[in-house]
Amino acid sequence: MRRFLGSLRDGAGFDILLVGAAMVFLIAMAGLPLIYNVLMSFQQVDMFTLGSLIRPWAGFQNYIDVVREPAFWLVAKNTFIFVFFSMGGQFVIGFALALFFAQNFPGASTIRGLFLVSWVMPGLVVGAIWSWILAGDFGVLNTILKNFGVISSNIFWKSDPAFSIWAVVIANIWLGLAFNMLLLSVGLAAIPRDLYEAAELDGANAFQRFWTITLPMMRSTIGAVLSLGLIGTLQQFDLFPAITEGGPANTSTVAQFWSWQMSFKLYDFAKGATISVMMLILVLIASIIYVRSTRHEVRG
Amino acid sequence: MTAQIELKNIDKHYGAFHALKKVSLSIEKGSFVALVGPSGCGKSTLLRSIAGLETITSGDLHIAGKAMTGVPPRHRDIAMVFQSYALYPHMTVEENLTYSLRLHGVGKAEAKAKAAEVAATTGLSALLPRYPRQLSGGQRQRVAMGRAIIRNPKAFLFDEPLSNLDAALRVQMRKEIRALHDRLGATSVYVTHDQIEAMTMADWVVVMRDGIIEQQGRPLDLYDHPVNRFVAGFIGSPAMNFLDGTVSEDGGSVVLAGGERIALGKPAEPNRQVIAGLRPEHLRIAQGPADFHVEVGNVESTGSATYLGSRDDRLQVVQTDRSSVAVGDRVGLEIDPALVHLFDPQTGARI
Repeated sequence: MRRFLGSLRDGAGFDILLVGAAMVFLIAMAGLPLIYNVLMSFQQVDMFTLGSLIRPWAGFQNYIDVVREPAFWLVAKNTFIFVFFSMGGQFVIGFALALFFAQNFPGASTIRGLFLVSWVMPGLVVGAIWSWILAGDFGVLNTILKNFGVISSNIFWKSDPAFSIWAVVIANIWLGLAFNMLLLSVGLAAIPRDLYEAAELDGANAFQRFWTITLPMMRSTIGAVLSLGLIGTLQQFDLFPAITEGGPANTSTVAQFWSWQMSFKLYDFAKGATISVMMLILVLIASIIYVRSTRHEVRG
Repeated sequence: MTAQIELKNIDKHYGAFHALKKVSLSIEKGSFVALVGPSGCGKSTLLRSIAGLETITSGDLHIAGKAMTGVPPRHRDIAMVFQSYALYPHMTVEENLTYSLRLHGVGKAEAKAKAAEVAATTGLSALLPRYPRQLSGGQRQRVAMGRAIIRNPKAFLFDEPLSNLDAALRVQMRKEIRALHDRLGATSVYVTHDQIEAMTMADWVVVMRDGIIEQQGRPLDLYDHPVNRFVAGFIGSPAMNFLDGTVSEDGGSVVLAGGERIALGKPAEPNRQVIAGLRPEHLRIAQGPADFHVEVGNVESTGSATYLGSRDDRLQVVQTDRSSVAVGDRVGLEIDPALVHLFDPQTGARI
């Protein structure tokens, strides 16, 4: 006993204690719910078996049912649009802003800090704000576009099936922009100044310097930003109930919102779990690609 | 000889700080010029202004006869070796070397051949596929030089390139850089705070302080005829000794504070307050009658030379023969009258 206590204070026992504490926390808070979710996607779940762990085995039936849902391909397309264009918009505009603020003009860091306001705000609040901005009859966006002559009549962003998913994409780009910009700013700041000077003397113009120095030196940062972006976009939920509620006619429903609808609106927990497992696999693939791409990291 | 780089009345302000004050300098084609001075003297600023990395506030800069005001660095055709080397960490040695060629649209095969050629002259042939992080300090230094020479620029600029190397390697690279310069017939401007580097490598040394050029000339001219006390103290190692004194009635010697006399090679204005400059390596321990006496405070022997310091720390003597002098001894010193420098106590100017 004494030896055991001794090793806890100083030795292998202490290491095991630390690792163990972290593992217990991970398993209890993340592992078990995850496993339960995966398990549920292979079971028949109804109102009567809701409280039990062991339920009739369904095999891949839930997955087949989900794919056969009439809304499946529409939701898949919406999810793709939402993820791809949200990430693209956040990344491109975020990178442009990061480069802009890297010019170190007076007040650059203060203004950059103010951008965080959008990231600090709760998704539901952002959704409510954009809901007003995007409103078809009195929205500010329509007024601006009309005054600039881009559109001639009001666009009903939230209720027009052709625009509903884009309404959420726009709001989500705004929401995630600051986070992207901040991470990319950190990456930019880590590139030594003299590399740019050397490249300039070697004859590189601004575009060539960006392409041959900035981008390759930012590889790991970009990888991190994109994978965090993917996870963030697939987790984005608040904007949907606040702006479109997935409508009209599912034209702005994405996988995560659909999963929630299945589970907590239609009480079809098996399908809800199945959809979330499908998303989990997507994120897993993206994470593996990210980890592999940063393994051969080149710095300094 | 034609001037490859011509600077006229260059001024540079950083806000309220006046970094370069009316600097004029002409650098001849094929020469190796060292800019030397204590930190903050403006030597790096001057170099970066030549490169175009700093914009000059006013003045004219010509490179190979062309006015360079407003010309961006990439159009100046100048290569620079940075103190940090500034190698591109995500490129192999070969890619580092060929970067400028690739930017200028040189074909792959030609760039490769050129890289192999430069690698051979700089001893990098075996290292071409490596990344900078896999190289030692000296190898990185060579890559930085190879990157500079591969495109045959109008001038090479070196910004304290050896300060990150250990002492032995520094001595070796000093020779290599000079040899490379001679082989290429290049024009080089070399910034250093180390006067030994400047003296050993350069044809022409420019001593700077507080944004102005104090003196420029051939290394030995600077050593033999420093124009003021600052240059005298800066050039030479260990630094020159300075002793307060008064010129004697007959003008033929300097009377020191203690009443002892040092004979002068040339007569000076009688009764004038002066500072006598005596190089440590010119002082000898007198066997017979001495010019003046000091009490020895410390003795350091390196084997080849012995460094004696006075008790009051105001005087150093370098002896190349083994001396039997011990701490606490009172020794008599003598100096060749022709080697005594005199400076004005107020202005510091040479008399």
